[in-house]
Amino acid sequence: MSLQEFWDYLVLGVMLGSLYAVIAIGYTLVYGVLQLINFAHSEVFMLGAYGSLIVLQLVNPGDNPTAVASIGFVALAMAGSALFGGVTAYGLEKVAYRPLRRRGAPRLIFLITAIGASFFLYNLAGKLFGRDPLPLPEMYDNHNVFTIFGAGVNITQLLQFATAVVMMIGLDLVVNRTKLGKGIRAVAQDAEVAGLMGVDIDKVISRTFIIGGVLGGVAGFLFANLNQVSYTMGFIPGITAFAAAVVGGIGNIRGAMFGGILIGIVETMTVPLLGDEWRSVSAMVVLILVLMFRPMGILGERVGRAA
Amino acid sequence: MLNKTIVKLAIPLAASALALTACGGDSGSGDGAVKIAFQGPLSGDNVALGENMQNGVKLAIDQANAKGDLDFKLEYVAGDDQGLPDKATAAAQKIIDDESVAAVVGPAFSGPTNTSSPLYAESGLVTVSPSATNPLLTDKENGFTSFLRGVPNDNMQGAGMATYYAKKLKAKKVYLIDDKTDYGVGLATVAEKGLKDAGITVVKKSVPQKTPDYSATAKDVVNSKADALIYAGYYQDLAPFAKKLKDAGYKGAGISGDGSNDMKFVELAGDAAENWFLTCPCTDATVEAGTKKFADDYQKEFGRAPGTYSAEAYDITNMIIAEIKKAGADVEREALRDALAKASYKGLTKTFSFGENGEFKGTDVYLYQVKGGKIGYQGNINELAG
Repeated sequence: MSLQEFWDYLVLGVMLGSLYAVIAIGYTLVYGVLQLINFAHSEVFMLGAYGSLIVLQLVNPGDNPTAVASIGFVALAMAGSALFGGVTAYGLEKVAYRPLRRRGAPRLIFLITAIGASFFLYNLAGKLFGRDPLPLPEMYDNHNVFTIFGAGVNITQLLQFATAVVMMIGLDLVVNRTKLGKGIRAVAQDAEVAGLMGVDIDKVISRTFIIGGVLGGVAGFLFANLNQVSYTMGFIPGITAFAAAVVGGIGNIRGAMFGGILIGIVETMTVPLLGDEWRSVSAMVVLILVLMFRPMGILGERVGRAA
Repeated sequence: MLNKTIVKLAIPLAASALALTACGGDSGSGDGAVKIAFQGPLSGDNVALGENMQNGVKLAIDQANAKGDLDFKLEYVAGDDQGLPDKATAAAQKIIDDESVAAVVGPAFSGPTNTSSPLYAESGLVTVSPSATNPLLTDKENGFTSFLRGVPNDNMQGAGMATYYAKKLKAKKVYLIDDKTDYGVGLATVAEKGLKDAGITVVKKSVPQKTPDYSATAKDVVNSKADALIYAGYYQDLAPFAKKLKDAGYKGAGISGDGSNDMKFVELAGDAAENWFLTCPCTDATVEAGTKKFADDYQKEFGRAPGTYSAEAYDITNMIIAEIKKAGADVEREALRDALAKASYKGLTKTFSFGENGEFKGTDVYLYQVKGGKIGYQGNINELAG
């Protein structure tokens, strides 16, 4: 691999990784407050993509929209995906997890419920929206805007990376600087004591799901913009992002970002070095190696402590 | 407040989900009716290909019933395998258990054919596939005694692609990708052999289905400096891949097989689909003179033009009906199987007859190209290559 090729793949890897990072945050946030692996998060991602598709079909960008209109369409699509993602995550918590929490169900029940909710949601999406993959309408004319280390970056990639970075910085600020963030950290550290100190635990958990859902939904839109929308699209990115969250340290927000980028780079570098069929294998090998030598993940475990 | 809203929303949703599932359950058997089943993807990612064929089968059955020269009534039975090998055995068993099923059109895909054919072989129920093209399916070792292939196998498509690249496009280096399915690997293996025999350098890669991001693969294609590309797989993966190839600045030729030969590919890939070559052992029913009337009938019945393998499925169904008519409505499954294996039937698309182990007799492969957002029919690939 020449140096130029290395930069090319590195840029692609970081782009993909930024998406994984945003999805991974959804897993990690929920784990932070509930110690629950929300396996239905991949469906939040998928429904976010359908949200943007529905909005775009309503407004219909048509052929060759102007630059200003393009920005408007992207913003609308993003809003649609955020809305769908947020509402889905909120609904999931209300319908699937809160009743269990009220009854003090064991952890395993939560996990099974999460998987059940995931099955229900993606099959429901298949019934409602059809099982054919659908294209996301073109919102702009995609072309290279600049080069970095000689690697061309086009609008889709720029949009994907910039949105991911803005969302990650925004989230970091919310968690570290706001009252809600303080609540999230408090619940993550010790829910019971946080409750005694006057933190409304239900509200904090509910909002944590909404934040994770909005991020997941927008990631769904960005992913659909790269590929296409289908009811099964959540599964593979979901599992990969979950692995990324664990690599970074499940429950640790910055860990999820770091893990996402790392897995993105590893997967992409695998393509020229070993071949496409080893992509998922290499991601999982990284996961296993990290777990062997640092079982709490690279950046450690808890939202409360590390963030 | 919000709790109630959620419940209000959830109840009709749940109810409609239940109602939809219930629809799948009714398959009331008529008295003394002879059934013809179709096994293929009627849900899941490849539903478009399955429906093309299902409609062809239905049309043939409806027309035969309407004609009024049968002393029995024909009925249609659907067997949905989602195009997945692990779902196929259940779909096949369901069809086999229905004793009034006389013959099966399908299975549509090679993978499901591989897993369900042992069941069919045991039951003696004949299956005639309009589209399962993996060469190994007719291997004697398998003992798929009930399987008849109504289509030239992948050897023909792969060989056709290689011939076209070697003779017509004079390619120097070809990047060859399979999607790790039975179909893709089979097609790619044959194409690789054909290309190497013609002295062309081949870079062969496997890219599994549903890869979340094809941009690295596309970059690899560009970096390899290949001047032509073969993708052996299905349209829902080729579409995002084609988009990434365009983004990566790939300028060479691209060709894919019948798994991608569907308008869905063009819809999903948009501009990126432009100029892609697509092969198929099937002719274009809307272009070829012999199938014009069929295309019109199909359009009238289903509100759209026939798709890939619609006409072939129609032909095969008519072939089965003709044999049942000869043998009578109470024909044994084994007897019908043996009769079909020996039969020769001149359909709208081609003549159907079978050689050893149910292999199709005949070799024609046809070339298509995406132009102006449409899949344009080019003609017989060997004649085009010259």
